[in-house]
Amino acid sequence: MAEPTTAERQFDAEALPHLDALYRVGLRLTGDPSQAEDLVQDTMLKAYRSWRQYRPGTNAKGWLLTILRNTFINDYRRRKLEPIATDLEAIEPHAIYRNIEEADPEGAFFSQIVDEKVLEAVDALPAEFREVLVLSDMEGMSYAEIAEALHIPVGTVKSRLFRGRRLLQAKLYEYAVETGIIPARKGAR
Amino acid sequence: MSDAIDCREARDRLQDYLKEELTPERAREMAAHLERCRHCFSQAKFEESFLLMLRIKSQRTCCPNALKERILAALRAEREPG
Repeated sequence: MAEPTTAERQFDAEALPHLDALYRVGLRLTGDPSQAEDLVQDTMLKAYRSWRQYRPGTNAKGWLLTILRNTFINDYRRRKLEPIATDLEAIEPHAIYRNIEEADPEGAFFSQIVDEKVLEAVDALPAEFREVLVLSDMEGMSYAEIAEALHIPVGTVKSRLFRGRRLLQAKLYEYAVETGIIPARKGAR
Repeated sequence: MSDAIDCREARDRLQDYLKEELTPERAREMAAHLERCRHCFSQAKFEESFLLMLRIKSQRTCCPNALKERILAALRAEREPG
């Protein structure tokens, strides 16, 4: 076998370490492990083929996630058409902090919820909120990086993140009350 | 020294503060407010617990080894001359 070229070595060093992040985001976007696997593989091959367009030293993770997300939209979302919420801005989720500030002011209940339930709740978010929340709060991308990856303004990233977090918190709160992790409020319906 | 910002402004800044997206000056004002205001402090703690939980739970998922191998094989095939 031929020795790897400099470009190949660079690709291996800069792109391969992000496979875990790509797989995690792929799972949340597709909601299906085998689709996520195909999506990650397609993404890596596309990235490899267009490696020359990547400027070394820039954010490889952001670049790869952009390819993953574009591939998902173009080739995968069609398979399982997700309804696009028409009026996202009208979603004004209730802040659950008010409900819980006396019983659990520092939000200790969050960590008592099993992983599976948290991920299910993330998957149930509207797609536009979910992708921003996953990139920000699970993968640690900045507003600017997310805006670039999703081709939306920073202000939109912020408001989707705000609403997505609130929706998710409300869902987890509901689950925690149902399962007795936190006691139902006195006088609450 | 009095607070440069009030609770309302602190609530508006909380998301950007926790994402470390405020300018240093605005972040300092926010930190000073949180030191003085127990209510805003515990709301910030609440959001932090939520974010920490999300981060921890998501990072437990890794790319399966079989997929890694499949990708490495696909890349090798891509690199074969001819």
